[in-house]
Amino acid sequence: MTRVEAKTESLLNSTAGASADERVGMLEIQLRSALEEVADLRARDQLKTQFLANISHDLRTPLTAVITHAEILRDGLLGPLSDRQMESINGIISGGRQLLAQVGEILTYARGAADQLTIVPVTFAIADVLRQVSSLNESLLARKHLDFEIDVEPTTPPIVADREKVTHVIGNLFGNAIDFTPAGGRVWLRAAARRQSDLSELLVEVGDTGVGIAAEHHDLIFREFAQVDATPSRPHHGTGLGLTIARKLVELHGGKIWVESALGTGSRFYFTIPYPRQ
Amino acid sequence: MPHVLIVEDNDLVSGALRVLFEQTGRRVSIASTVADAISVASADRPDLMLIDLTLPDGSGLTILEALRRDHREPRVAVALTGHDEPSITERCTALGCADVLLKPVPTRELLRRADEWLKA
Repeated sequence: MTRVEAKTESLLNSTAGASADERVGMLEIQLRSALEEVADLRARDQLKTQFLANISHDLRTPLTAVITHAEILRDGLLGPLSDRQMESINGIISGGRQLLAQVGEILTYARGAADQLTIVPVTFAIADVLRQVSSLNESLLARKHLDFEIDVEPTTPPIVADREKVTHVIGNLFGNAIDFTPAGGRVWLRAAARRQSDLSELLVEVGDTGVGIAAEHHDLIFREFAQVDATPSRPHHGTGLGLTIARKLVELHGGKIWVESALGTGSRFYFTIPYPRQ
Repeated sequence: MPHVLIVEDNDLVSGALRVLFEQTGRRVSIASTVADAISVASADRPDLMLIDLTLPDGSGLTILEALRRDHREPRVAVALTGHDEPSITERCTALGCADVLLKPVPTRELLRRADEWLKA
């Protein structure tokens, strides 16, 4: 029984046999108590968000030292390394950068939850961002022997948006597409402009032929800390915040994000960025 | 030998940057507070000053404000920050920072940029 159900039941029991005026009085007391509880929970939620932001920031500092020292060794500034030593140092750097990315994700989430994220609009071509994201993932694509294509409709105009945040969203979706697609599969990035009734918008698609997502999980995956793990693929070792952040960043632009998928049929994630009609 | 002043309150980070710059032929000083940094930079003008923005006794940017008042600015000042917020970048640029970089800057990138800043 949830807390609300328990309170409702207790209220019904306690008001049985009371007059209408007495019931109204009791309801008012209950309402005040519920409002106080909501205010208390909101204050605690803000404390939690601030804690997340602080701890993420504090974690970056020692990580900076670890990564910098390891890169100094890798670059031979303190003398040459054997191949095995180099392999080990590269492991430290990769692990450090992965941890840093996850800490950054928590920080972005905390700022989003506290409404501290702002948009810095610039004009750019979406094709450049798609190429940038794909080139960052080149080695992963090659390692999994994934077929890959970028398709941008030639008439797509430059967009005005926060390039860094749009890149983050595409990077997250594309990373998931690669992660959840077995070797030999196919992933793609597509973009096109489209006209809705009263506005123009950019539509971006990130698709894959991977394990897919059951319909009942389509909303769940955009919620905090959610991971759908009932798939035959290896588990995804993320913070569980990637899609929540992607949704937040898209919504900051006034856009929408959604997925079309079923188990075993791959997934197609879409998001839109509206822009003023030319 | 170019003088690099690292303003950073975390010994682990300043220690790593000291190794990086000393091994590539620079003379390195370290300051861990706003007061330290003003004192070191006033006595021995840095060719390059890398400034962490969050210091125990105030914002790293107040160092630049104080040095500018005394006409003792470093040849090049660069902010290293953990926050990629546009308002911070604007403030750093307004105070004369040649660049604002998000920590940790990959060492190769930092050395490449340091070569450019010191040549300028």
